[in-house]
Amino acid sequence: MSFILRRFSFYLIAIFIAISFNFLIPRLMPGDPVDALFASAQGRMPLETLQAYKEMLGFVDGPLWVQYLQYIKSIFTWDLGPSIMLFPLPVSELLAVKLPWTLGLAGMSTVICVMIGLVIGTFAAYNRGGFTDRFMPAFWAFLGAMPQPVTALFLFFILALSWKWFPLSYGANPDLDPAFTLEYVGSVIHHAVLPITCMIIGGIGAWIFNMRNAMINVLGEDYITMARAKGLSNRRVMTHYAARNALLPVVTAVSMQIGFVMAGAIFIETVFNYPGVGLLLFKALAARDYPTMQACFLMIVVFVLVFNFIADLLNLWLDPRLRK
Amino acid sequence: MSEPLLKIRNLCVDYVTESGNARAVNNVSLDIFPGETVGLAGESGCGKSTLAFAIANLHSAPALITGGEILFEGQDVLKMSDEELRGFRWAKASMVFQSAMNALNPVITIGEQLVDVVLAHEEVSLEQAKKRAMENLELVGIHPSRMNSYPHQLSGGMRQRVVIAIALILRPKLIIMDEPTTALDVVVERDIMDQLYELKEEFGFAILFISHDLGLMGEITDRIGVMYAGKMVELGATDELMSDPKHPYTRGLLKSFPTIFGPKERLEGIPGNPLNLLDVPDGCYFQARCSLCSEICVSKMPDLIQVESSSKRLVSCHFAEAGAAE
Amino acid sequence: MFSNKFFTYLRRFYKGNPAAIIGTFIVVTMLSLSIFAGAIAENDPNKRVARGHQPPSSELLLGSTRSGKDVFSQVLHGGKISLLVAFSAAAITTVIAVAVGISAGYFGGRVDEVLMSLTNIVLVFPQLPLLIIIAAFVGQVGPLVIALIIGLSSWAWGARVIRSQTMAIRNKEFVLAAEVMGESKFRIIFVEILPNLISIVVGGAMGTCIYALMAEAGLEFLGLGDPTIITWGTMLFWAQSNSAFIVGAWWDMVVPGAAIAIFGGGLALLNMSIDQVSNPKLRTGGYIKTWKRMKAETEARRAGA
Repeated sequence: MSFILRRFSFYLIAIFIAISFNFLIPRLMPGDPVDALFASAQGRMPLETLQAYKEMLGFVDGPLWVQYLQYIKSIFTWDLGPSIMLFPLPVSELLAVKLPWTLGLAGMSTVICVMIGLVIGTFAAYNRGGFTDRFMPAFWAFLGAMPQPVTALFLFFILALSWKWFPLSYGANPDLDPAFTLEYVGSVIHHAVLPITCMIIGGIGAWIFNMRNAMINVLGEDYITMARAKGLSNRRVMTHYAARNALLPVVTAVSMQIGFVMAGAIFIETVFNYPGVGLLLFKALAARDYPTMQACFLMIVVFVLVFNFIADLLNLWLDPRLRK
Repeated sequence: MSEPLLKIRNLCVDYVTESGNARAVNNVSLDIFPGETVGLAGESGCGKSTLAFAIANLHSAPALITGGEILFEGQDVLKMSDEELRGFRWAKASMVFQSAMNALNPVITIGEQLVDVVLAHEEVSLEQAKKRAMENLELVGIHPSRMNSYPHQLSGGMRQRVVIAIALILRPKLIIMDEPTTALDVVVERDIMDQLYELKEEFGFAILFISHDLGLMGEITDRIGVMYAGKMVELGATDELMSDPKHPYTRGLLKSFPTIFGPKERLEGIPGNPLNLLDVPDGCYFQARCSLCSEICVSKMPDLIQVESSSKRLVSCHFAEAGAAE
Repeated sequence: MFSNKFFTYLRRFYKGNPAAIIGTFIVVTMLSLSIFAGAIAENDPNKRVARGHQPPSSELLLGSTRSGKDVFSQVLHGGKISLLVAFSAAAITTVIAVAVGISAGYFGGRVDEVLMSLTNIVLVFPQLPLLIIIAAFVGQVGPLVIALIIGLSSWAWGARVIRSQTMAIRNKEFVLAAEVMGESKFRIIFVEILPNLISIVVGGAMGTCIYALMAEAGLEFLGLGDPTIITWGTMLFWAQSNSAFIVGAWWDMVVPGAAIAIFGGGLALLNMSIDQVSNPKLRTGGYIKTWKRMKAETEARRAGA
């Protein structure tokens, strides 16, 4: 339990650092931070709203720490103010709507990467020197080195634009009302195929590579020899003895990669006009809507930390040695 | 004399490397009779563990069994199909590994590791398998409540006992023990050895006891085989071999061990280094380190032959009859 | 003495290792092309030499951009800067990672705790969003600043790996012996410990290089780079802004993208082969073929006997 508490407090500190970062950065830039932050707001919102917005973000009279406290208060009461580019929509609402889409992309692609990557990696390790072993890790390393925006654009151009197999944008057919109907869900899936494929192409190399190496290391251990000597079935040796142990370093290694996955999501959402947090960040960037940008950043950080925490919990479940 | 339980004939095991083949077990033959304890001695790298693993055909790349037969109760292990092999393993011949911490799967309980081997070999229910597991734990002096412990939660000695319990659970006819007490301190080692005697008394299994500790071997084995660079250089009854060693290497080994009782003797080591198996000489493998080495040793490999018609001693040395204690 | 051992080592590295050979080939070729861009490409990458969006031809090997500039010479010249950024970022990252990793691993105790807390925090932060925010606030950032930001934020993983390796070596006897002999800590670190870390340091540097290349391209793609400077990333940016794909001028987009992918891929292959050298268990060794052959022979003999 102390393990969990330690990790949790660690993540809490990280979130605070992210918040502080958001707080400090406009103030560290040359020029008046208020002007910079709200430059794009001129003429878009009524003055009183603008004033309230400024206060909410901590631009009050008083020393720095007072401003800081005000900022923290706003964040924790989830009062992020109205977005500038899409005034008067509140930022918090925007985020709430966009988040599920990004979660869906990241979650789905991770699950698929895990399943396929683990199987291929295990297979490559078990059949050393075979075709899979020699070809797969290198092939996927190569593909993964292709910059995400390019892969995305490639797929977009060929499969969506030219062959029209998949839609060009949006999370689902905009003419349909969101509901748990077969039609809507089907549309969601249809729109998600290309973005998820992109994410998988970018990420699966790591899983295959790590799993293969971990498996090879595990297969050299004595307890595997003993398991075989016991006359256990191949299946049992491969799953309960080999894979269970190989998973441990793999989970750790890949949880470090979550940030990378999120970065990819930004590009992919941009290319496919997919209504997630990444696209929001991009649009805010283009519109110089700094407060929204910062909110997106914070959201993404929280997201990554949550994933990391899940990985920690997973580690705890998989490795009894951590359960002292 | 009854029929041997295990007949190893001219076994050869090679390690395939990019610089060539290293023959780790070189034409070794050995019989083990039911209920007897045979020791296998020699320095690290002489091939004793390789031989042990070969018995259950456990080798995988880059090791390869390239010749010979291993007849267990008349059936050649090396010719068994996968099904037969799986049935044979553990049920007929089981193993005790050197380091219990490494031999036990760290992420599943010891109870599971006892149960899964029972379920893999016999058609019993989970409940019955668990009962068997607990009985065997009691046999080695571990409380059955430990079924749900993980290996890292047990002490070194307890882990080794668990490994022995697992080795016993299918009541095999032969247990191969590869340096079972090397990793333990002497007090625990004494405990475990005593336990082992009791169990052997009760269940009557044969033991192939591999160790570099000749003193320990002298206590419990009926016969000892000495290996060097993959070859069997001497094989005979324990008492006779230890009081009257006929191969220079065996003599060297015995001289390297201090005894608590008896007159104070100067300890001698064996000069030189172990043989590089990728670069073996013609003639006797021991030539570079042997004080008796002469022309014939350099050119001709000595055969493993019975030297005296009275004892069943086999020695591979040109000077076997002539060699008196140095 | 140096050359003989060195060449033997090289030969052993490349023998039977197609990944290493291909990887080296790619890296060396592209590096040379970029360095000698001035000599190879006839056209000035910034000059308009043809009509907009001309497809590849014998005149313009890789076609022209929207504004009629030569894609071939752009990708060559742009490579200079992109690769420079990638290498600089990798250098910065490596220096920091080595400094932090070795200090934490060698000195242990308080130093280790503090450095590791710092490292873990940096590690857990998603880098690209961080880069985006910084870049957005700073305005348009030139390649130099990009290299700097990437370098300062990507060292954490390498530091961790180096730290655990250092800790493993630290307690080895030759280090303890050196300490007892009174060698200065500085000397011990550089002479005893560092040489043993070379392979993971090099591996880490390569990984960072690949990452930096992509991060730079990504940032510039999003419009955060300086669009007046030609790099592979800004080429992507311009291609995207000019809807290259949609109007059918695929070469505008594919060429810089492929350049990044191929170079990154070459580095990745090299990285994998170095990995295999330092951990021989991971090799897809040639001995397996021999082993399989011998096994088949033995089994045939046994079946026949």
